[in-house]
Amino acid sequence: MSLELASIRYRYAGTSAVALGPLDLVIEPGRVVGVAGANESGKTTLCLVAAGMAPGVVGGRLEGRVTVDGVAAAGLRPDEMAQLCGLLFQRAAMQLTHTTATVFEEVAFGPCNLGLATGEVVARVRWALDAVGVGELAPRDPTRLSGGQGQLVALAAVLALRPKYLILDEPTSELDPAGTQLVADALVRAARETGVGILLVEHKTDVLARIADEAIVLERGTVALHGPAAGVLADPRLAELGVEPPARDRLERDAWAAGIEWSDRLAEAIR
Amino acid sequence: MDSRPGDPIDGVPDYVTRRSTGFYRALNPATKLAVAALEVVAVFIVPGWPGPGAVFVALAVTALASRTTRALILIGLAASPLVISIMVVNLFLVPGAADPIFRLGPLAPTVTGLGVGLLTSARLLVFSSAVALAYVTTPVDDLLADMSRRGLGRRGVFVVGAAVQMVPRTLERAGEIMDAQRARGMDTEGHIWRRARGLVPLAGPMVFGALTEVEERTMALEARAFTAPGRQTLLRVPADTGLDRLLRWLAALALVAIVALRVSGRIG
Amino acid sequence: MMGRGAGGGRGASSGSGADASIGGVAPAVDGGEAVAPAVAPAVAPAVEFVGVSFAYPDGTQALDGVNLRIEPGERVAIVGQNGSGKSTLVRHLNGLLRPTAGRVLLDGRDIRDVHVAKLAALVGLAFQNPDRQLFGGRVAAELEFGPRNLGVRGSELAECVKSALAAVGLQDEAETNPYDMGYSRRKLLAIASVLAMRTPILILDEPTTGQDARGVARVRGVVRATVAAGRTAIAVSHDMRFVAECFGRVVVMRGGRVVLDGTPGEVFAERHWSELQAAHLEPPLPAVVGARLGLGSTPTDAALVERLKSNA
Repeated sequence: MSLELASIRYRYAGTSAVALGPLDLVIEPGRVVGVAGANESGKTTLCLVAAGMAPGVVGGRLEGRVTVDGVAAAGLRPDEMAQLCGLLFQRAAMQLTHTTATVFEEVAFGPCNLGLATGEVVARVRWALDAVGVGELAPRDPTRLSGGQGQLVALAAVLALRPKYLILDEPTSELDPAGTQLVADALVRAARETGVGILLVEHKTDVLARIADEAIVLERGTVALHGPAAGVLADPRLAELGVEPPARDRLERDAWAAGIEWSDRLAEAIR
Repeated sequence: MDSRPGDPIDGVPDYVTRRSTGFYRALNPATKLAVAALEVVAVFIVPGWPGPGAVFVALAVTALASRTTRALILIGLAASPLVISIMVVNLFLVPGAADPIFRLGPLAPTVTGLGVGLLTSARLLVFSSAVALAYVTTPVDDLLADMSRRGLGRRGVFVVGAAVQMVPRTLERAGEIMDAQRARGMDTEGHIWRRARGLVPLAGPMVFGALTEVEERTMALEARAFTAPGRQTLLRVPADTGLDRLLRWLAALALVAIVALRVSGRIG
Repeated sequence: MMGRGAGGGRGASSGSGADASIGGVAPAVDGGEAVAPAVAPAVAPAVEFVGVSFAYPDGTQALDGVNLRIEPGERVAIVGQNGSGKSTLVRHLNGLLRPTAGRVLLDGRDIRDVHVAKLAALVGLAFQNPDRQLFGGRVAAELEFGPRNLGVRGSELAECVKSALAAVGLQDEAETNPYDMGYSRRKLLAIASVLAMRTPILILDEPTTGQDARGVARVRGVVRATVAAGRTAIAVSHDMRFVAECFGRVVVMRGGRVVLDGTPGEVFAERHWSELQAAHLEPPLPAVVGARLGLGSTPTDAALVERLKSNA
């Protein structure tokens, strides 16, 4: 049981350059895989391929296989894929339908598209809103939410399809520190409580350090670093790969470089 | 699985099943559209003043009772430049009119022109008020929900909804783009050629933004199973009562009668 | 009240920059002598908000009696939660928004009646979303737009474009179509397009969002170079590390008011943490570590390491 990308090579339509690959990646249920990398290193492309949008919606040529719990993504309709792999972008405004009057109806949009029984739709909406901790927003107007709240509603809207995996492309980049915190907490909660496997692209390595189980760093479409999040995020090659290390690792390294004597007290203060 | 119109739906909260209430507002969207259609036809097909006159009385009563007078007056004011220009054109330029009110050099307003101008203006105002009344008494999502219930496909419903929402979103984006270019010194109040040149920096981001957003939005809709086969579940169904059906039948009969009278030459 | 940050002590009194006054700069826009943008005034005008309040047409009170003075050559970061009034505040500096109460002064003069197109020669504002701005088919054309509006022509214009591109590391992209560039580079391009106007005051709205480490380094370079050239740099940002390391003064906003104002060392000091928390902000990690170790206020990695060294 996993979302598996095997021997992936992907080219966008009309280009000969390989945008992603060669690449292999496995995302297991209940685990958070963080993705970092310089701009234009293939992070968004990875999200689109993993969620079946490339080549499904955006075209282009894909070699290799994407399988979800053993089922080949290539043989699935978009709505079938949506029930296995949820996808969320950085801007909630793009993600919401703008045709609903309440958050409840916005989150119900997906389940209603599936034609589920009313009782099942209601149950899923309640569950998804609670899973990200925003049950109290249900009666509100979706166009009048803060950035963080909007992103949480968009997350709930995707979760309401009960996907096994979630693909998130920089979900906090437009958010203030408080909004970032909200979304990061909601993701941890979703992974722990619903067993959803998460692929999380994020520039803010402090967020990855806090919630990712493992991490990969992309460089020119391929995996440059891969392993447990703590190890990858402390890797000295991070900077040359264009990735800002988490604040803690940076401080430790700076102190080390300045020849400061390491003490338990210092370690305690930084941790 | 659909509930009958008007029934409460199990477990769906009140703020979702919410009902429009109040005189006229509580009617089914299709009923209000049927009434508006009858009014529009009557305004233009019944000759002379009786058409706009009768519809005006009907509209005035409905607007007063449904407390929408203010909104209608505002819409009427918005149409006033058009009304004034129609008046002026007719007053001076109705062909064949030979009954000048007075002469001032080449200007000779005519009595015929005054009559035609007044009637045309009245038709225009009453017509736009009839459409506006249906609009201001019908929340967009009532209309969408009712269209879904009547079997219009999800794509059709979504296109209508998105089109209605697009206007404010487009205006907002245009405002942001305008601000960005003004901040770079684009003169929006200079000579006309300067302002015309200024359209390029506005059109570029409008088009590009729209194109990139279409791709992102398409993916976002796919990610929410928009293209799943079969019927959508409806969480809310606007009421559709016996009164609604009666009104729609009456509107349809009246419409047929007016057209028949006109075609047979009994009126006109 | 806390003291002013770096640059406040430059001693340039606001009255000394006669050539920087609004009247002196404005003719460039009307096609008169093109002095202002290409040759930045020796002293940038001071900025002053006096009791500025602003309410949006829907009634939202975005600013509530802001008093703030920024001296020429200062580097000021404005921080706060989404909706705290940061972006609304800076849009008052180039006339995109006008106060519903209070006054906005540039170099001591009320800008109430000064047109946006004239203020553009004094205040350059790079918006958060580059896609609301870019229109040129070529990067170079995009960069020429602003200075050209200010009346810059010929070799001077070419020089403006070239140096602005170099500042953000896009010097090899002059002939590229902006729409073929990724979001982060489009954002750097949007910053460069404002930089090319060489305005005495540069405002960057959320310049580091979506940028990787190299992109953030470019933005820092832009801020440093701006101030080194005697101009004023103001940024609105959520990125506390960028704020602490790159700015001499931090202004914290909450609910449309200025609630803290001082150097990063002052604002991020332990005694203000409860106020920062109320504004939904967190001090940068080195500030937290410094406080835990009793080293005083150390808002940056460098400050903390320095303090650790001198303590050892």
